[in-house]
Amino acid sequence: MAYAVPKEAYNGKVLNVKFGKAPNAVSIGGENAMPFLSFEGEIPNKPVIAFEIQDMPPDDWPDTVKNQFAGVSSDPVKWAQRCQNELKAQAIALRLISTHPDRENRSPQDAAKTVKDVLSAINIPLIILGSNNVEKDASVLVAAAEAAGGYNCIIGKAQEGNYKTIVAAALAHNHKIIAMSELDINLAKQLNILITQMGFNKENLITDPMCSALGYGLEYTYSVMERIRLAALLQNDATMQPPIAGDVGMYVWKIKEVSASESEAPLWGSLEERGIAWEALTAAAMLIAGTNLLIMRHPKAVETVQKVIKELV
Amino acid sequence: MLVIGEKISIIAKKVREAMMKRDPKPVQELAAAQWKAGAHFIDVNIGPAEEKGEDLMKWMAESIQEKVHLPLCLDTTNPSALEAGLKAHNNQWGRALINSTSNEPERFIMLELAAKYNAQVIGLTLGKGGLPADAEERCAIAAEIMGRALEYGVPLEDIYLDPLILQVCTMQDHAMHALKAVKMFQELNDPPMKTVVGLSNISNGVPKEMRSLIDRNYLALLIYEGLTAAIMNPLDKDLMDTLKTVEVFVGKTLYAHSYLET
Amino acid sequence: MALSGVEIFKLLPKTNCKKCGFPTCLAFAMKLAQGGVDLEKCPDISEESKKVLGEASAPPIRTFALGAGEKAVKIGGETVMFRHDKKFFNPCAIALNIKDNLSDAELKKAAVEVANSEIERIGQKLRIDAISIEYASNDSARYEAAVKLIASAAPDTAIILNCKEPSAAEKAVKAVADRKPLLYGATNDNAETMAGIAKANKVPLSVCAQGVEALISLTEKIKSLGVEDIVMDSGAKTAKEIIEHNTQIRRSALRKGFKPLGYPVINFALRDDSTFEAALASVAIAKYASIVVISSIAKWKNLALFTLRQNIYTDPQVPMQVEQKIYKIGEPTDDSPLLITTNFSLTYFIVSGEVENSKVPSWLAVMDCEGLSVLTAWAAGKFTSAKIAQFIKDSGVEGQIKHKNLIIPGQVAILSGALEEKLEGWKITVGPREANGLPTFLKSRTA
Repeated sequence: MAYAVPKEAYNGKVLNVKFGKAPNAVSIGGENAMPFLSFEGEIPNKPVIAFEIQDMPPDDWPDTVKNQFAGVSSDPVKWAQRCQNELKAQAIALRLISTHPDRENRSPQDAAKTVKDVLSAINIPLIILGSNNVEKDASVLVAAAEAAGGYNCIIGKAQEGNYKTIVAAALAHNHKIIAMSELDINLAKQLNILITQMGFNKENLITDPMCSALGYGLEYTYSVMERIRLAALLQNDATMQPPIAGDVGMYVWKIKEVSASESEAPLWGSLEERGIAWEALTAAAMLIAGTNLLIMRHPKAVETVQKVIKELV
Repeated sequence: MLVIGEKISIIAKKVREAMMKRDPKPVQELAAAQWKAGAHFIDVNIGPAEEKGEDLMKWMAESIQEKVHLPLCLDTTNPSALEAGLKAHNNQWGRALINSTSNEPERFIMLELAAKYNAQVIGLTLGKGGLPADAEERCAIAAEIMGRALEYGVPLEDIYLDPLILQVCTMQDHAMHALKAVKMFQELNDPPMKTVVGLSNISNGVPKEMRSLIDRNYLALLIYEGLTAAIMNPLDKDLMDTLKTVEVFVGKTLYAHSYLET
Repeated sequence: MALSGVEIFKLLPKTNCKKCGFPTCLAFAMKLAQGGVDLEKCPDISEESKKVLGEASAPPIRTFALGAGEKAVKIGGETVMFRHDKKFFNPCAIALNIKDNLSDAELKKAAVEVANSEIERIGQKLRIDAISIEYASNDSARYEAAVKLIASAAPDTAIILNCKEPSAAEKAVKAVADRKPLLYGATNDNAETMAGIAKANKVPLSVCAQGVEALISLTEKIKSLGVEDIVMDSGAKTAKEIIEHNTQIRRSALRKGFKPLGYPVINFALRDDSTFEAALASVAIAKYASIVVISSIAKWKNLALFTLRQNIYTDPQVPMQVEQKIYKIGEPTDDSPLLITTNFSLTYFIVSGEVENSKVPSWLAVMDCEGLSVLTAWAAGKFTSAKIAQFIKDSGVEGQIKHKNLIIPGQVAILSGALEEKLEGWKITVGPREANGLPTFLKSRTA
């Protein structure tokens, strides 16, 4: 039987977003085909993995991942350097978790100082994340954006309840933005529209439809991401064309599968390998659903996903 | 197309308070306003009605029909409340419509009530185990409801098939699935099956100022596909004008410059 | 292509004779399209229509069982490219590859490990579905012995005979023919012999080729030789080849109705690095493999792969549900607050997440409402005062806490009066309308 490879004709293209400073700036996005289908489109950039660090000791992380950063995790500067120099990170994601009112409720000024300290200690791109407290992030991320002026960072996450001030700060200091909505493609589109209506260039935007861990709603994230990509490429929906971020680590390293000991859960096998696999598989699923930028924690999981990426491009 | 006025619903605060206080006036006024605006049925939605449901439905039916000479669409998941409404219903103004049976076993009893009280009944194409995925699944459920109706002795002419309208803001694909189902339902029998929708479900969750726009455009498409009846807001003048206009296009109304005023 | 109800209807007599038990021919056709009734119920259908229906109603991707007996797994039968379009139907079988030149003890150990791999997760029993036995010894007697040994050590597990040498394969097939092993496989060089073996022993046959296009002539040839149950290996080895080949194959079958590629796919995701192998296998699972073969299993790895497969194969139309029970959030004591919500998994994830955020240890009563969210469940009569009261009474929470104060979602504030009547001695407090109001709400109560 005569056969022709069935190719999809895509009308749209994912936007190319470049962050950080030369010579170590990083580009994501730019593809005009569904994930890794290079037989029918161009895929100019590989997905990028950023190592997550935070501005206070990760006491709430399970030992499996916390122990990886023993000796450096009480100091974000040392932690960042470790990721850059020893783990060869392409980018770092600094989570300003201490600013959360229920954690240490540190001030935006404190956060700004941490950002400056970390930036002056590394030469790879920085992603600056708030504590996911909508009200507090509005002030923390504004101060952080100012402190990071000139570094072409990614700031996040702007949400429906706080995007105005965060976007204004990113505009003023030339940063990129991660816009996050909660597992709803229609809300994701709406937020992107609202942000661009403020005069923010959509080419500086990254969309985060909210990650979920393997076994904890992963399929929702997976399908929302696939649908975002299909809208961007097949319907040429300009509001859905920003690259996608997957904040994998924080969703994975809080569930019971990564913390229940082998004595508690004898049917689940090695805790160490289980945790690593959980983060790696969650990330791999995000990648094939369309994620361009992953934020992860465990070096072994990152290494595994890098191997997958290497085989995918 | 038949208009089933949706305004008398427990969801509305004013109605809920009137129900609790058994104050007939607000309910009667709302019913009368809908009648005047062109409704053919008045929907009476008392919710799950666990608390004195029988008494409430009886009171509602009597209060409304005392002032408004229309049949009622009795809307509750509580079968004994529904039965009380059917008993109280004044058939002088037309036969009651039960809202609703479906493929969920606990709703089969609605068919029994329809047969017992010679009422018409809405067949919602919803089964156990999640939403119907597409028009075909809706039709398969419809076929089961129809088969069951015949077993219970309810003639197919008394069934209004409801494709289950879902909110476009989160379940966009279902807008097309439901439209397609309305068309396909009619082909399930000869004479064609009757169809009904809960129109405003389409605009659930969208900003308030956009609801009427979304409702009336969707209604236009539904009428084009041959919809028999809609549970909708007759007090929305734009919506009613759309209805009248589309009925001109599809040849259900004779055109005159003043067709909107009739 | 699978026919829609309306398309089937066109082939029926359209007499509405009701002999089939349905009111109309169309109603019958609709049921037929869903696979809920047999065509034979129609006494008046023409032979010609029957033939057309028989052929055309064949699914675009053939469906059959891998293995025999209770634990056989159905493979193939998929109808969409993306799970959100409808759903993925038949979960990818996971198979462990074992080389026949291992010692008997090692073979047995591996087989027993597979046989005992079952884990339960959210009400489903999940396991390693098959063992692929690789012909590495180059000794047909050894191969037959290894196959027999594994078959008896894993008596319910499906078997894949990973052997391209016809004489060795034939002996092995005969030894375990009753287990319906998948014969892997047929290449350009041995296709005719392998097809003969598969046909004679009534087992499915996998073809192995280099590239998608090379599969076509092979599957056509095998089919013409009388083998219907075919599995395809396009030779994809890397993650990229797996995604690209499998996408091209499924698209050809679904969009073009291209029959020579309308069969389930097998991928070998073999890597020394076990975590990497798991990640690669998950790419295959998500991207259309019907069987994925791996080189090692371990409890942690199985759990992760089973969970991923379960996630990808859930029905997007059916709300995901969590178990009805009283959940502990933090380390609640007998005077910690008690909240209630429905068992729609997203509702549960969001509510429990916000309660966690509040850092106020709490009891969260999650009630079975068939996976509906709070307001929908209430409107559908599943989250009503009587049912909530019954659930609270049956849950035994009264023995766990010393207060009688229940916090209900703000969206169902209307229930508070009736609930107080039905739950004697209880005080009902109306919580916030949205979950993100919970931290403030809970903290202000304990302050």
